[in-house]
Amino acid sequence: MTVVARMSSAVGPARGPGPWALWATVVTGFGTLVASITLAMAGDELVRPGLQALLFNWITVPYLISGTLAWWRRPASRLGPLMITTGFVMALTALQWSTVPALFAIGHLLDLAPAAMFVHVFLAYPTGRVEGRLRRVVVVSAYATAVVLQLAKILLGLDPDSPFAVAAQPAIASRIEQVELITMSALLLTAAVLLLVRRPAGGRARRRPVALLVDTFGLALVMLAVLYIAGLRGWQHVETVRHVAFAALGLAPVAFLLGLLNARLARTDVGALLVELREHPTSDLREPLARALHDPSLTLAYWLPQYGSWADGEGHPVALPGSGEGRATRVIQRDHEPLVALEFDRSLEDEHELLDAIAAVAGIALENSRLQAELRARLHELQGSRARIVEAGQTERKRLERNLHDGAQQRLVALALELGLIASKPADDAETKARLVRAKREVTASLDELRDVARGIHPAVLTGHGLVVALESLAAQAALPVELEVAVGGRLPEHIEVAAYYVVSESLTNIGKHAHASSAVVRVVRSADQVVVEVVDDGIGGADTEHGSGLRGLADRVEAIGGRLRIWSPAGGGTRLEAEIPCE
Amino acid sequence: MRVAIAEDSLLLREGLTRILGDAGLDVVASYDNADDLLRFVRSFPPEVAILDIRLPPTHNDEGMRAALRIREQHPGVGVLVLSQYLELGLAMQLLSESAEGVGYLLKDRISDVEDFTGAVRRVAGGGSAVDPKIVSTLLKRRRNDDPLAVLTPRERQVLELMATGASNQGIADELVITLRAAEKYVSGIFTKLGIPSTRSESRRVLAVLLFLRA
Repeated sequence: MTVVARMSSAVGPARGPGPWALWATVVTGFGTLVASITLAMAGDELVRPGLQALLFNWITVPYLISGTLAWWRRPASRLGPLMITTGFVMALTALQWSTVPALFAIGHLLDLAPAAMFVHVFLAYPTGRVEGRLRRVVVVSAYATAVVLQLAKILLGLDPDSPFAVAAQPAIASRIEQVELITMSALLLTAAVLLLVRRPAGGRARRRPVALLVDTFGLALVMLAVLYIAGLRGWQHVETVRHVAFAALGLAPVAFLLGLLNARLARTDVGALLVELREHPTSDLREPLARALHDPSLTLAYWLPQYGSWADGEGHPVALPGSGEGRATRVIQRDHEPLVALEFDRSLEDEHELLDAIAAVAGIALENSRLQAELRARLHELQGSRARIVEAGQTERKRLERNLHDGAQQRLVALALELGLIASKPADDAETKARLVRAKREVTASLDELRDVARGIHPAVLTGHGLVVALESLAAQAALPVELEVAVGGRLPEHIEVAAYYVVSESLTNIGKHAHASSAVVRVVRSADQVVVEVVDDGIGGADTEHGSGLRGLADRVEAIGGRLRIWSPAGGGTRLEAEIPCE
Repeated sequence: MRVAIAEDSLLLREGLTRILGDAGLDVVASYDNADDLLRFVRSFPPEVAILDIRLPPTHNDEGMRAALRIREQHPGVGVLVLSQYLELGLAMQLLSESAEGVGYLLKDRISDVEDFTGAVRRVAGGGSAVDPKIVSTLLKRRRNDDPLAVLTPRERQVLELMATGASNQGIADELVITLRAAEKYVSGIFTKLGIPSTRSESRRVLAVLLFLRA
C-alpha cells in the first residue's frame, strides 16, 4: 500500500537548490567574509576595525548559513533565499569602508537596505510570505525608504565628493536624511510591535522555540531603530548601541537555526512513532501522533466516503476546520481519496518532511482508524434508527390508546348509561327490565376488557401523572407483596418513564409467573446521568434470559434508548434485574 | 342541589346532565374544559363539581389539577372525579388531606343511576365516594402477614363498604341489617384492627384506606 501525502492547499512540489547553488553560496559567502575583513583593516574609516569587522560578519555569516540550510531543508519556503540575499546585501554595505569612491558610493547607496530586508525576513517568518495588509505596507515602505530616500539624499549631494552627487544641496540632503532615519526607525518599531502582537503563547511545548525566535526578532528590530535615532541625535554612546544592535541582529539567525534543529530533533520522534505503532497497535492514533508532532492540540478527522463527511474517532460527524487563526490543516490522501485530515498548530505548517514522514509511518494505522471511525458511525446510525423505531412505536401506541379512550370507551360508557337510564325507569314488563340490566352488565364487562387492552397498549396514567403514580398501581396489583421505592425527583423524559414502567411491569409479571417468590422490591433511583431501575425477588432464581421472549424484549427496549439491562439469577438465590437508562 | 360539570365528551356530558336532572339535581353549568369550570366555581360555588380526569388541551392531568385546586381553594365545594382508568396513586393524592367531600369513581359507575346519584349527593354533603375497585384492589393486595385475617367475612364486607364511603345507614341498607347492627360491626372492626375510632364517616374512610395501603 502506498500512502501519498499532499498539502491540501495547492503547493507544487518545490525543487531544492542544486549542489552548485549551495557551493556557490558557500564560496561567495566565504569570499565576502575575507573581503569585508580586508576592507575593514585596510581602510581608515573605522575606529576599531577588528571589532567592527567581527560584528559585521557576526551578522552576515549566520544569515548566509541559516539561509542556505533553510533553502536546502525547506525548498518550498522563500525564507532561505530571502535570508541569503539579506546576508549578501549586508555584505555589500561593507564597501562603505573602501577608499575607492565608486565602491564607497555603492556601499553607501545600500546602507539602509539591510534594515528593510531584516523587516522583510522577520515579518515573512516562517513561510517566507508576508501575510496581512499591514505587514505588507510596512515591508514595502521600508524598501521605499531605504532605496528612494537614500538615493535622493546622495543625488542631492549629502556628500559633495560622491561621484553620484548631481546637485550641491547638502542642507536639503541632510533634511532628507533626518526624515529617512526617523521613518525607518518608526517602521522598525512598527514591525517589532506586529511581531509581538502575534507572538504565540509560550505554554505549549511546541511553541516555545517560536516564541523565543519572535522575541529575538523583536529585540533586533528595536535595537536597530534605537541605533538610527542615536546616530541622528549624535548620542555619545552610539558605538555601544551599534554593537548591541549588531549583536541582536546576528542572534536572530542563530535562534532560527535552533528552531530548525528542534524540527530535526522532532524528526527522530518519527522513528519512535514507528516502533510504538508496531509494538502497541492502537485505535486511538491521536495521542501517539500528537507526541510525535509535539503538538498536544492535534486533532484528527477521518473521511467517511459512505457518508461523504468527516468524522472524529468516535464516528461523530465533524466539520473540517479551515486553516483558521493559528491552526493549519493537512489532508492525507490514499489512492486519490482523502483518508484523514490533521489539524495542528500553525507553527508546524512548514514542517513538510516531518508531516510526510508521519503520514507514511502511520499510514496503515490511519487506515485502520478510519475503518473504525466508519464502523462507529454506522453503529451510531443503527442506534439512532433503533431508538427512532421504538419511539415511533410508542407514539403509535399512544395514538391508539387515545383513540380507544375518546372513541369506543366513551361510546360504551354512554351506551351503558343509556341502558341504565332506561332500566331505572319504572316498567311493567319485568322481563324487559331484566334483559336491560343484563345488557348493561355486558356493556360494563366489555368496558372492563377494553380497559385492560387499552392499558396494555399504553398506560395513559404514565403520560398524565408520571412514574410514581403509575408504579403505585402496578405494585398494588402485583401477585405478590411489593415494596416500592421511587426517588426520581419529578417527571422524567417520556421515553425513560415508558421504559422504566415496562421494566417493572414485565418483571413483576415474570416474578408472579415463574419466581415462586414471597416478596419483591422495586427501586427506581435517578442519579446525575442515569435512571436505575432495580427489581429484586426472593424466589427460586434461575431465570431463563435467552428463551423467555419477555426478558429479551425488555433488554431490546432498554438498549434501544442507550441503556443496559442485566440480570442475576442464580438457582435458588432469587433474581435481581437491573436496568440502567441514560438520562441527562 | 347545584352541580357543575367538566367533561369533554359531548355524549357523556349530556348523559350526566340528564341523569342528574332526572334525579332532581340542578346542573347549573357544564363545560368541556377545566378552565371554564374553575372560573365558574370561583364566581358561583356549586355544592359539587364533577370532573373528567382527562380534559383538553393535553388530556394529561388537567382534570386532576383542577380537582386539587378546587379542593384547596373552595373546601366547601364537593369534588367528584371520573376516570376511564382507576389509579390507586391518584386516589391517594386526591384524598391526601382528607376524604371530606371527595369522590373518585370509574366512569362506568354513571350507568348505575341510583348508586351514582347517591354518590354525588354524598360528596356534595361532605361525604366521600371511593370506587369499589380501588377498595377491592387494596383488599386483594398481597401481604405477608395479612392484618385482615382477624376479620370475619361479614366484617370484611362492612369494611369494604366503609372504605367506599358508605354511611352506617348505607351499610345497613346494603347488607339488609339494622342500623344498630351495622354500627356494632363498625366499632368491632375498629377495635380488631386497632384503628383509632372516629364518628365522622368521611374521616374513617381515609383511616381505613391508609390502613389498607400500609
